[in-house]
Amino acid sequence: MRTLRIRIAYTKVEEAKYIAHLDLSRVFERACRRAGIPLAYSQGFNPHPKIAFGSALAVGVEGEQEYVDLELEKEMDLKELLGSLQEQLPKGIRLLEGRQINPKARALMAVLNGATYQIRTSLTLPLTEEKLQKAINDWMDRSYIPYIRYNKKGRVEKDIRPWVKELKGKIKDHEVIFDLEVEIGNQGSVRPEEVIASLKKLEELPLEMEFLRIRRTGIFVSYEGKKVSPLEQEAFGK
Amino acid sequence: MKYTDGAEIREAIEQYLPKVMKPTRYLGAEWNTVVKNWDEVKVRMAFAFPDVYEVGMSHLGLRIIYHLVNSYEDFLCERVFAPWVDMEEIMREKEIPLYGLESFRPLKDYDVVGFTLQYEMSFSNILNMLDLAGIPWRCEERSPEDPWIIAGGPCAYNPEPLAPFVDFFFVGEAEETLPQLLHMIQEQKENPVSRKEFLLKVAQVEGVYIPELYKVDYKEDGRIASITAEPGAPKEIKKAIVRDFDNSFFPTKPIVPYMEIVHDRIMLEVMRGCTRGCRFCQAGILYRPVRERSPETLLKQVDEMLKSTGYEEISLTSLSSGDYTCIQPVVQEILDKYSKDKVSVSLPSLRLDSFDVKLAEEIQKVRKTGLTFAPEAGTQRLRDVINKGVTEENLLETAESAFKSGWSSIKLYFMIGLPTETQEDLDGIASLAKKVADLGSKLGRRNVRVTVSTSSFVPKSHTPFQWEPQEGMLSLDRKQKYLREILRDRRIKYNYHDVETSFMEGVFAKGDRRLADVLELAVKKGCKFDGWHEHFKYDTWLEALEEVGLDPHFYANRAMDYDDVLPWDHIESGVSKKFLVHEHHKALKESLTLDCRFVDCTGCGICPERELQNDLKG
Repeated sequence: MRTLRIRIAYTKVEEAKYIAHLDLSRVFERACRRAGIPLAYSQGFNPHPKIAFGSALAVGVEGEQEYVDLELEKEMDLKELLGSLQEQLPKGIRLLEGRQINPKARALMAVLNGATYQIRTSLTLPLTEEKLQKAINDWMDRSYIPYIRYNKKGRVEKDIRPWVKELKGKIKDHEVIFDLEVEIGNQGSVRPEEVIASLKKLEELPLEMEFLRIRRTGIFVSYEGKKVSPLEQEAFGK
Repeated sequence: MKYTDGAEIREAIEQYLPKVMKPTRYLGAEWNTVVKNWDEVKVRMAFAFPDVYEVGMSHLGLRIIYHLVNSYEDFLCERVFAPWVDMEEIMREKEIPLYGLESFRPLKDYDVVGFTLQYEMSFSNILNMLDLAGIPWRCEERSPEDPWIIAGGPCAYNPEPLAPFVDFFFVGEAEETLPQLLHMIQEQKENPVSRKEFLLKVAQVEGVYIPELYKVDYKEDGRIASITAEPGAPKEIKKAIVRDFDNSFFPTKPIVPYMEIVHDRIMLEVMRGCTRGCRFCQAGILYRPVRERSPETLLKQVDEMLKSTGYEEISLTSLSSGDYTCIQPVVQEILDKYSKDKVSVSLPSLRLDSFDVKLAEEIQKVRKTGLTFAPEAGTQRLRDVINKGVTEENLLETAESAFKSGWSSIKLYFMIGLPTETQEDLDGIASLAKKVADLGSKLGRRNVRVTVSTSSFVPKSHTPFQWEPQEGMLSLDRKQKYLREILRDRRIKYNYHDVETSFMEGVFAKGDRRLADVLELAVKKGCKFDGWHEHFKYDTWLEALEEVGLDPHFYANRAMDYDDVLPWDHIESGVSKKFLVHEHHKALKESLTLDCRFVDCTGCGICPERELQNDLKG
């Protein structure tokens, strides 16, 4: 049987930003079932629907353009699929675009290798634009930036500098708005809040850290210096 | 409280959501949630479940009541759960009041807050939730602006430990009487009469119990001398019963949570009640007589629910679904119609004697899960005492066919501390478990896994064992250790509960209204989530009991006399005390009472008393 594979770009904003990544697959599965979309299922004792996402979004982080792949058991008109699926999705998950892709195309997880974030936070003390720019430049000039994470094995020190491709910041009223671009690799990546926490600590910036507002503005395939959408032909090559 | 309106509370809560575990517990807005316009309804109710979201949302009663109340144009029902300790800490620190999930309005804004009483160990959470809402605990401390605090569910059959905190209890099934009460509350809002006058009016509704209209006197030795109803209040409170169960309200657009909940599937209620007559079982008395839904109704509901939820699993729920007379055709039809859509069926409560392996094989075609059985006791003698009419042959035959059809893991549930239990009965648990494991090995199953779980017997009100004392903790503890020793076998896993929790459950299950002071003090000292092992503070409970001057053993470990006035004597399950005494005698004589669905009437009293009969569809 020919399996149809659909790649969809969607937002995960407002209330939907609190849906954990692990729960998102269930949300899509049930929405598809309600919409009468014939999902393909894995074989075996415990059949699972073939739904695959790109890189996980942390709880509370909004995504402006996220991607999901669905595998269908039989053909369905794409427009109709997107329309009926949208009706069954919670507020905040809006379908932006979808297209049928090559069933052999590489998984989103395997091709997505870069992301951009916007991070907004308040200033706890006044700060000049000049000082902010110098702090960012100094931080970016560092060749090794250790960051301590805690996991099941205990304390792990990681160099986060290699993941950060670009960091910009500007002051607006009492807020700083950062634009960050990071690489996502096989070895993982850096979390936006880690970058800002390190910047605050190493360059001594008066940033409020408790309530960062983080938005992933894009996630893409970085290819020969260009940011390519995984919806585009060249992104899902053989 | 710092925050008073819904929008402010929502904003404050959202700020902290990324910092707590499982934030969608506090968000609302799940699929099929009903959000009504606050200003367009006349009575607003919050259904409060005194445990965390994923436990509460797995409860069928919540789903029935929520959608039932919302089905009335003039009423609105929202949900509230006990926030987990991480969120509670934030709410207390930031002075954010407990709120309803649909509108984020503080609980104080509702006309009615209705708690469900599923188990005694959630009582502390009720007071803790009222505290988080800024609502005074005792009825007498609340003002007419505060919500009416109501409660229902199985523990409403002995609600006395909660008597001073709750305005009205619902005894029995509230599908028909709750809307009646909400209409009365609407009337009271529009044309208020005095509290007393209103209470006396409400007291006439079937199944409504208003503790402040009853006075309890005690003897010098602490036993109850009398329970007296005020003039105008019924002497006995008769439980409310849904008569036409097949046509009674059932929600077919249930809420679909974002996070995984305990029972994350469609719950289809195939019948209510069970007349097997296990003598320890409270539900078996409370929900009599047996009423079944017709296959036509069920199949219609299944179709609607699959469409409205997108769930892939349907659980046929009841106290003992294998006894549902149309189980075979209903399961078959569901599978025939929907297994192509990967829909599977599960039967959560199967008895060994009603278990049909063919049926089990059929339902396992789509997804394969473990099998669970509850022999309850280790020897035939003790199973006869508790009237659990299953035999060792039933179990072994069932296990054999299960192993033959490909299962390799079986769970067995037992109780320890049952009346008349001896060493032999404990050894019987181990030998039964070993026989099952050996059978699996003999039949060539690799990875044979037998999980044995024991719980400690807690005598419950309204059962033939209500007069029995609970076994002491030391002895229960010794029994658990003994079982742990003799169940050493790499194929067998042994689980058990801590005895302190069972003891406190025993105290409250048979408690009277003097325990309210203990509950209040324990919550002040920080008790909450007592059903969660990591939060249960046994020493604090003992401290509270001592400070109030009550002896927990008086409640849990004392054998009551047949002519004692029981704290729940004024609450009627419809099953006569005479029958319960008779059953207690029969238990001690190891004599069985058969199920009235299959043989003659056993004379429990419910049918003639309420002009009803078992309603079977098969």
